[in-house]
Amino acid sequence: MNVSNVYIIGSGYHSFGRFDKSYQQIGSEAAAAALSDAGVEWRDIQAAYMARMYLPATSGARILRCLGATDISVIDIEAACASGGAALLQGMMAIRAGDADLVLVAGTEKMPRGFMDPSMIYSPWQIELGMSMNPAYWSMRAMRHMHEYGTTHEQIAMVAHKNHLNSVHNPMAMYQKEFSMEQILNSPLVCDPIRLLEICAPNDGAAAVILASERKVRELGAKGIRVAAVAHTISRYSSDFRCPAETMSATMDNLGPSEVTAARAYEAAGIGVDEIDCFEVQDTDAFCEIEIYEELGLCGVGEGGRLVQDGQTRIGGATPVNMSGGLISKGEPVGASHLGQIVELVAQLRGTCGPRQVEGAKTALGHVLGAGGNCAITILQK
Amino acid sequence: MSTETNRIAIKDGLFAGPLDDLADVHLCGSKCAACGETGLGSLDACPNCGSADLSPVALGNRGTLYTYTIVRHRPPGNYRGPAEFKPFGLGLVEVDGVLRIMAPLLPTIDDLRIGMPLRLHPYVLRTDENGAEVIAFAYGAMGE
Repeated sequence: MNVSNVYIIGSGYHSFGRFDKSYQQIGSEAAAAALSDAGVEWRDIQAAYMARMYLPATSGARILRCLGATDISVIDIEAACASGGAALLQGMMAIRAGDADLVLVAGTEKMPRGFMDPSMIYSPWQIELGMSMNPAYWSMRAMRHMHEYGTTHEQIAMVAHKNHLNSVHNPMAMYQKEFSMEQILNSPLVCDPIRLLEICAPNDGAAAVILASERKVRELGAKGIRVAAVAHTISRYSSDFRCPAETMSATMDNLGPSEVTAARAYEAAGIGVDEIDCFEVQDTDAFCEIEIYEELGLCGVGEGGRLVQDGQTRIGGATPVNMSGGLISKGEPVGASHLGQIVELVAQLRGTCGPRQVEGAKTALGHVLGAGGNCAITILQK
Repeated sequence: MSTETNRIAIKDGLFAGPLDDLADVHLCGSKCAACGETGLGSLDACPNCGSADLSPVALGNRGTLYTYTIVRHRPPGNYRGPAEFKPFGLGLVEVDGVLRIMAPLLPTIDDLRIGMPLRLHPYVLRTDENGAEVIAFAYGAMGE
């Protein structure tokens, strides 16, 4: 299929963390930063998409009105942890359809501390029986992976160590602090084998990008980052044990959501994983990142633990992952998390990441995965 | 003492048959005639292919532990476990070679092992506002 190119010409964010500010303030600051970075005015934007999960109805309109009254289409998008990818996909399609030349795509979240409100996701009976902790689901996958492939506690901790180390230079991150392997391995267990310093916290934050058509990029004389692909899927039957699943089939062996989404994204971008220089992936827990290495094709099945142990996914390694510090360091404001990854990847491709720069990065991939097996992957090219 | 117990399942259609004799209670499955998959509970549509051609089956009471975790903190919301929280196992229990069911685990947390044989343990969780006993389930070691 012959489709027109879509470019990111500006990006901006509000730091991830916990703030004594309204979600309107947090979201509109990120949107204003993206507009300023793109060198365009709010009144020039022809459509806007706001990813959010835990905010009230019409949040997008309430946030963006802070930039000035408008009569454009403003739509809230929700697809759990993949909300940002789903919003980006809508923005890209609006431009490809010829319906708009300049689109704002943002994600904003403001979340309570601690475990997420279980009634958003789980049935009452699951809550009564104690099945309502998201980390329990990730942990069961980790336990099985350790059993089948010999993945170790140390390898899981190495992911957290790497990501916390990367975060030290990222002003977007909630925790900009290095933790030693000893500190990580001695932090309290949340759900075995996952520990407190190996898990991300829900928090507040926002991120935004300005998308432009090829025609608009030329008109503005802008230097855009090309959106090579955006893919969003929900998991195939019984292919992913993630909240709020009650059961898994013992007979079906469907491909997991990250594998399916990656295959679609690679095909749409016309590239293979070998051509991608750096990655931002869902690390809601440290084990999850190991499994995603395998599902994106960075290594074979069962080899993810070895990949991090060998240093391949550090900055400077063959396939750097979570240069930003990942969600483990930034926190996960659900609606904003993927666009936060995009902000990092745009900066990597512009070469402006300073100490966490991946040298010569030309192609970058962002990945998110969450409740209901919602998965989104975006591939960007310089 | 009343000879009739007023009991309901914690989730409609979760169990097969009457709930009077807990030793004889089974989980209910729905087997799809179109694709052969079995879902948990009495279902209107197959979770795989969407077919409505489903037959109820009583699932076997024995299973093996496919994977598990240990919940170290009190779960959020309306958790009905012991008032004084105690870490407990949660696992996926493989039953009849067709289904892996998420369930609380009764064995001592140090005894949990992937592959261990387990047995269904239906029990009275609480009494509801109408005086009915609400029946829930967990899996215990074979001797429990």
